[in-house]
Amino acid sequence: MVRVAIKIVGAQGQGVNSVGEMCAKGLKRSGFCVFGYREYMSLIKGGHSSYQLDVSAEDVRSSTTRVDIVVTFNHHGLEKNLRDIKKGGILLHQTPQWKFKNPEDQAFIAEQKIRVIELPTDAILKKLKAKPILGNVLITAVVWSLLSQPEEQLRALVREQFGHKKDLLDLNFACIAEGFAVCKVIAPGITLSLPKPDSKWKDQLLLTGSQAMGLGIIHAGCRVYVGYPMTPSSPILTFIADMQNETGMAVKQAEDEITAAQMMVGAMHMGTRAITATSGGGFDLMTETLSLTGITETPAVFILAQRPGPGTALPTWTAQGDLTLAVGAGHGEYTRLVMAASDTQDSFDLLPEAFNFAEEFQIPVIVLTDKHLGEALFTQSAFDQTIAKLRRGRLVTDLRELAQLKPADRYDPAAGDGVSKRWLPGSEAATYCAQGDEHAPDGSVTEDAENARQQMEKRLKKMAALKAALPEPLYVGPKNPETLIVSWGSNRGVIFDVLESAEMKKKNIGYLHYQYLWPLKTESFEMLSRTAKRTVFVECNHGGQLASLLKLACGRDVTQKILKFDGRPFLFEELREKLLSSLTPPSAPLRAGNPSLDRRGA
Amino acid sequence: MHDFASVHPCTWCDGCGDYGIWSAAKRALAELQISPWQVLLCFDVGCHGNMSDKIEAYRFHGLHGRVIPLAAGASLANPTIPVIAFGGDGASFSEGVGHLVHAVRSNYRMTFILHNNANYGLTTGQASALTPQDKKMNSSPNGIPESTLNSMDFVFSLKPTFVARGWSGDIAQMTKILMTAIRHRGFAYVDILQACPTYNKFATHEWLMEHCYDANAEGHDPRDFAKARALAVDTQNRVATGILYQTEEVPAFHEHLKPREGVTTTPVEEVKIVDTSKWERSFA
Repeated sequence: MVRVAIKIVGAQGQGVNSVGEMCAKGLKRSGFCVFGYREYMSLIKGGHSSYQLDVSAEDVRSSTTRVDIVVTFNHHGLEKNLRDIKKGGILLHQTPQWKFKNPEDQAFIAEQKIRVIELPTDAILKKLKAKPILGNVLITAVVWSLLSQPEEQLRALVREQFGHKKDLLDLNFACIAEGFAVCKVIAPGITLSLPKPDSKWKDQLLLTGSQAMGLGIIHAGCRVYVGYPMTPSSPILTFIADMQNETGMAVKQAEDEITAAQMMVGAMHMGTRAITATSGGGFDLMTETLSLTGITETPAVFILAQRPGPGTALPTWTAQGDLTLAVGAGHGEYTRLVMAASDTQDSFDLLPEAFNFAEEFQIPVIVLTDKHLGEALFTQSAFDQTIAKLRRGRLVTDLRELAQLKPADRYDPAAGDGVSKRWLPGSEAATYCAQGDEHAPDGSVTEDAENARQQMEKRLKKMAALKAALPEPLYVGPKNPETLIVSWGSNRGVIFDVLESAEMKKKNIGYLHYQYLWPLKTESFEMLSRTAKRTVFVECNHGGQLASLLKLACGRDVTQKILKFDGRPFLFEELREKLLSSLTPPSAPLRAGNPSLDRRGA
Repeated sequence: MHDFASVHPCTWCDGCGDYGIWSAAKRALAELQISPWQVLLCFDVGCHGNMSDKIEAYRFHGLHGRVIPLAAGASLANPTIPVIAFGGDGASFSEGVGHLVHAVRSNYRMTFILHNNANYGLTTGQASALTPQDKKMNSSPNGIPESTLNSMDFVFSLKPTFVARGWSGDIAQMTKILMTAIRHRGFAYVDILQACPTYNKFATHEWLMEHCYDANAEGHDPRDFAKARALAVDTQNRVATGILYQTEEVPAFHEHLKPREGVTTTPVEEVKIVDTSKWERSFA
């Protein structure tokens, strides 16, 4: 796959995101698949942030380590991001009279043949009598010109944004024209060639995982959203809130996470679909509520958007460290479902399923996502609106059936699969208590031993039925792969890109991807990993959490793991290298401290 | 009233104020002609929570300190079903005090009945935030170091839209209060001083009978916020009961929600797969 990468850096508030988004949109409309990766700090203004766009005419879902062009808003980028540039790449900046003082930097530039271009932004804006904010469109125009993209493309984008404000529009157009003109002066003969475009990308959607998940929530028929801001779940709250006038949903920003969880459960009990989203620390606060739903058998859906832990850790970075938390949180033993989204496609598709399973089995469902998925920009085909179905399980709404109900139907231990009938407050029927204490079938409190045993069995019996209802993990690759890669969540994109690369395509590699993480379906995993020479887990956590869970679930202890836990996602070359070395048998005996080559139990 | 009768016998101590509150709740619902299937009763954890299976109605018995947000969520999902939340003073002024604050300021449509016996009954009589500082209680033989919270002063500071107080021995008055509270537009705060013969030796049934008086009967106008607050806060000599403050002018939480304006269905009735394609166009 031929890709071109553009990395825009600067302080937060300078316009890194605006420029990134504008470039992404324009390039997609030109016929390219664009994948955007953002890095930012836990600040509002200042710090150092970046927006990298990986662009290709083929499918691209990952970020490359070294880019073709770095566009820096301030001098920090000149210092920090010089080495992000490929050999022969471009460094575009707007710091007047900048000189590289560090001899190593000078040597790097010379040896790597980096073209350093200065855009006299201040001077141009002064000439045009334009406010500093217009610097964004000016620098975008220069990038546009370097990419040999048509000027009209950019004008169209700007027109979309400011169409109704004529003065602003004219000023933007002037800056665009100036950008194109000055590019020929400051970067004569320099172009950044893009591969030949493919028109199939032109009309696709460009959106983040959070936006896709928000659409999935709406699609699923969720009517109430209760949340408390916590990075990286806040964009979901923002999206749903911004859409509320269109969708008619009730949105509540609660005073804390416990409130959010409780309100969601109350709303679900009453019979609508409600959801809450948070990150690890907020989810910790919700766990008693999670446990409650386990015994009241109230459907519940929690989104856990992961970031590094423990404690506050790295609020604006990514990780996959909360899988075991999702599986084990909330005291006591009961049935739950843990799922994980991987990209914009399943961020949309999995939400109706989360609600369906929650209602069918009357259980809490946790949907994992992470900062990388939530904030990355994906090129996505229009979502298929016909796939999702509404499944509400043993919810009784028919008047005649309601009239036949007895209170003891609610928690009937003899119910098939452990799933008893459920009916809503306001239904003309016998009543029951959704009971947090251990209870008899009608929800009355009892401390009887035999009853306790029966109710525990009833609730845990649901686990087997749930597991049987889940799909097997997704497998892509040869029937009997020599190497089996196993992963989950946002690693999917980079794994696909790596497996599609020239060197990898020749290797006999299969990829098993989990979207349903608990209960775990292990049949295909066991079959594939038994016949494979090696099984390699790829996870963004320290403990290889999916590997541990699979070992727990089926006893297979395959310990080759490629792990990353520095707050960043796997980059393309990085994963490719690590994967290639995992394919090579070590020529020397095993050395301590090299866990990715550890073959015990494979 | 006997529609609400449960087959399960009560387990409260002899003389517990819960018997009175329980009776008043059933009576109020019956007099409002609300059937058991038309109401949701939510309980916190405590002696009051043992009511969860002593009354017929749709019920939810949840976590300690969390009855208010649970009830608020239920009410938001279906504002046509009256939702009544019951909580003790331990739950409501310690564990769940944050929820109380935000529920009052949110003005959720629900009735909140405070089972106020100034102690943690079910865990055998510890001091609560409402216990007078000097009282010897379980786990505080020297009294408590913390100053006692003036619950009425606290609640009035949150700009409530309905405040009432009753006591567990006056079932007729509690019934009247609850009937009004259940029909209130927003958050109805109902403080019921209740006898706890086992652990509360200071605000006993006899003491309450002596000191509580019907403020409405004595001419108190519940539209007067300042007077209501003054009356509520001062319990030195007499304790004012009745509907102390009420306004129907403030919209309930859900009535503030612009997306719900003019919507004739409830969120419960709106669950279906929604086509999102028209909103996707802005991402193209």
